[in-house]
Amino acid sequence: MDFEVTYSEEQQRFRQEVRAWLAEHVPPGAARTPVSAEDNYGRYLDLRELGRALGAKGWLFPRAPVTYGGGGLDLDHAVILEEEVDRLDLSLPPYYDSGGRLGAASILVWGTEEQKRAFLPPIYTGQVRTWQLLSEPGAGSDLASVSMTALRDGDEYVLTGQKIFVGSDNGADRIWLIACTDPNGRRHENLAWFMIDAKLPGLEVQPMELMGTGGEGGTDSGVKNTVFFDGVRVPAFSLIGGENNGWKVASTHLELEHGAGGRIGRNRLWERLLRYCRETKRDGLALTQDRDVRDILADVYIKAEVTRLFGLRNFGLIYSGRKRSYEGPQLSYYRKMAGLWMTGAILEAVGPAALTSDPGWGSPDGFLELQQRNGIVAVHPGGTADVQRVSMARRIGIGRAAPESAGKVE
Amino acid sequence: MDLALTESQEMLKGIARSFMAREAPKDVIVGLESEPSGLIPELWKKACGLGWLGMLIPAEYGGGEASLCDTAVLYEELGRGPLPGPFFSSGVLGALVLLEGATPEQRRALLPAVARGERILSLAVSDPGTSWGAHGVTLIPQREKGGFSLTGTKLFAADATSATDLIVAVRTADAPGDVSFLLLDARAPGVSTRRLPGFLSWQCEVALERALVPDTALLGGAPGQGWATLTRAMLRALPILCSYMVGGCQAVYEMSVSHSRTRVQFGVPVGRFQRVQDHIVRLVNHLDAARWTTGEALWKLDTGRPAEASVHLAKAVASEGYLEACNAAHEVHAGMGSMNEYGLAAHTQMSRTLFHYLGDPRWHKRRMADALEW
Repeated sequence: MDFEVTYSEEQQRFRQEVRAWLAEHVPPGAARTPVSAEDNYGRYLDLRELGRALGAKGWLFPRAPVTYGGGGLDLDHAVILEEEVDRLDLSLPPYYDSGGRLGAASILVWGTEEQKRAFLPPIYTGQVRTWQLLSEPGAGSDLASVSMTALRDGDEYVLTGQKIFVGSDNGADRIWLIACTDPNGRRHENLAWFMIDAKLPGLEVQPMELMGTGGEGGTDSGVKNTVFFDGVRVPAFSLIGGENNGWKVASTHLELEHGAGGRIGRNRLWERLLRYCRETKRDGLALTQDRDVRDILADVYIKAEVTRLFGLRNFGLIYSGRKRSYEGPQLSYYRKMAGLWMTGAILEAVGPAALTSDPGWGSPDGFLELQQRNGIVAVHPGGTADVQRVSMARRIGIGRAAPESAGKVE
Repeated sequence: MDLALTESQEMLKGIARSFMAREAPKDVIVGLESEPSGLIPELWKKACGLGWLGMLIPAEYGGGEASLCDTAVLYEELGRGPLPGPFFSSGVLGALVLLEGATPEQRRALLPAVARGERILSLAVSDPGTSWGAHGVTLIPQREKGGFSLTGTKLFAADATSATDLIVAVRTADAPGDVSFLLLDARAPGVSTRRLPGFLSWQCEVALERALVPDTALLGGAPGQGWATLTRAMLRALPILCSYMVGGCQAVYEMSVSHSRTRVQFGVPVGRFQRVQDHIVRLVNHLDAARWTTGEALWKLDTGRPAEASVHLAKAVASEGYLEACNAAHEVHAGMGSMNEYGLAAHTQMSRTLFHYLGDPRWHKRRMADALEW
């Protein structure tokens, strides 16, 4: 067994190249927590520019095929890029782009050649930022029951309905969504996916007021939206994977969203929490010197480590092309439940200071206050913890002789 | 990065699995429960013939000089039984204590026979009324002409009833760490061992009544080095014990999945019920947490990386995981799981035994925090 990527000379050379390039192109304070709305927007524009610069080098989606504007790099090189970006507390892409990441992966598997040529290059080169639209007021865990309609009218589809828990702040250029293409059709045989423009007549975005947004990994903007579609007309060309075939396409999207890709990055929450507990005194003693706090921190650390190892294991499965089963949803389930549990553990360890975002009396940038909210809210996006458990049970084959297969991701 | 077993590890796994199927099927393991010793002589001889007792012992003492990762593959298979007997006590912990703390003469005298399985080691550390740790060693040896005399009791000594040689921890000065080990013939006058009755697996009482050992029995030849020796030995031994527990978790997981498919209630396999599914999901999460924390600790040790925190973490996770995995399996199996002949109960008892063995999860979490220098 080898738990670490062993770097070849070529990889180390590539690392130097990447590091030097990033030093030159990543704007200062790119990973900062914005202090105002203007600062937030300014940071977003900086990151989009960085995205385009990365995209021009094929480094925004390093493993995507060159034919469609991707980097065409092998995993050995992509790993280096991810590590170097992670070092700067950023990710690839460096902004919220779930529709691009998951939509492009789905198009790559299910789109026609023409569609790949049309939709993939703008995503892979950072020209567009894409939101994904799945949940509706009446369809959360039960994704197959989405009632937003996409009805064929000549060379177009007409979209009508409402999507919730969408995107981030600062808008999007494209939208990746699932809708019902046959309201009278059978369940699982009446859906389709669309890749469309985000600014069309009849389409309206309204921010939601939420306790938290459950974001992870530095791309959390703290904003989710409702999107209304009132007879929005889109070209038939934007339907991906065939009319009424959307449930199959969903398997690719959901597999990736449910953690199959794995992760080898650092655990930023843990690093910040430990630093905070070292530097914060209570009753005259650093929190880390309090035996009860140390015991709680040990349990927090262990859950963070197990989460990291599950991510590493999933990465390793993809890296070596091995068969996956329940590991994707397991990572997702474990991470969600660990995060939820940590809200209580951190509250107990740190005390009410964990609850305030006050710059004087709370944690730096209010990162603990954010965790108190997001640890709870993160249980739901991308499939609830309970949905993940159901997936695990099917993949394991609990109570059934024939286990379900993992979704197709490549 | 490669998280799979190597070809030779796969081969060892195959050999160990067919050995277990042949020599230690479920009825044999269940039948052992009433025996004072967990050692099956015929099985032991065959295992020794395969070199399994000497895997971690260097070639110069007749051992196989295997890596920890290789050795762990074997112990995972033994843990699936769970096969008792002093495999870990003698071939891993005992052998490593000798390697870490014995004089060259002591090593030469004992290790080759340990590697062949002819001498069997068992550590006796804790005294009555103490918790795990150096402070828990309170037995004070009395000076006798040319040696020491020991009178007292050691508790929860794993596999002492199977041992030919006991490694007894004694207090040789007042500072907490002033612990020494004495090598003691398990059949010497004044030494008696007894398996403790109850819900624990071959943990024993060692009663010492004026048991005499010569000066040459002092491990390492100088006093006060015992706890440091044990700490170094445990660093490498614990992940092997964890692998044994991973094997145990894996076995109860497979049992539970299989039961969920075949046990019919309300006209359907019980695994169709989400409540039952949840137990197995909880179980597999404990199994995988134990597996990957253990794997990383083993890998760090074999590649010379600092591993102390990872080892303590793995012991805490695996001990808790094995216990919780068994709990979940009992929920899946309901009444059938409590029938001794079914085989789950042997794991449940073993999981409780290993929970505290060589330090409970809380103790290891605290050592982990210390190692990480919080």
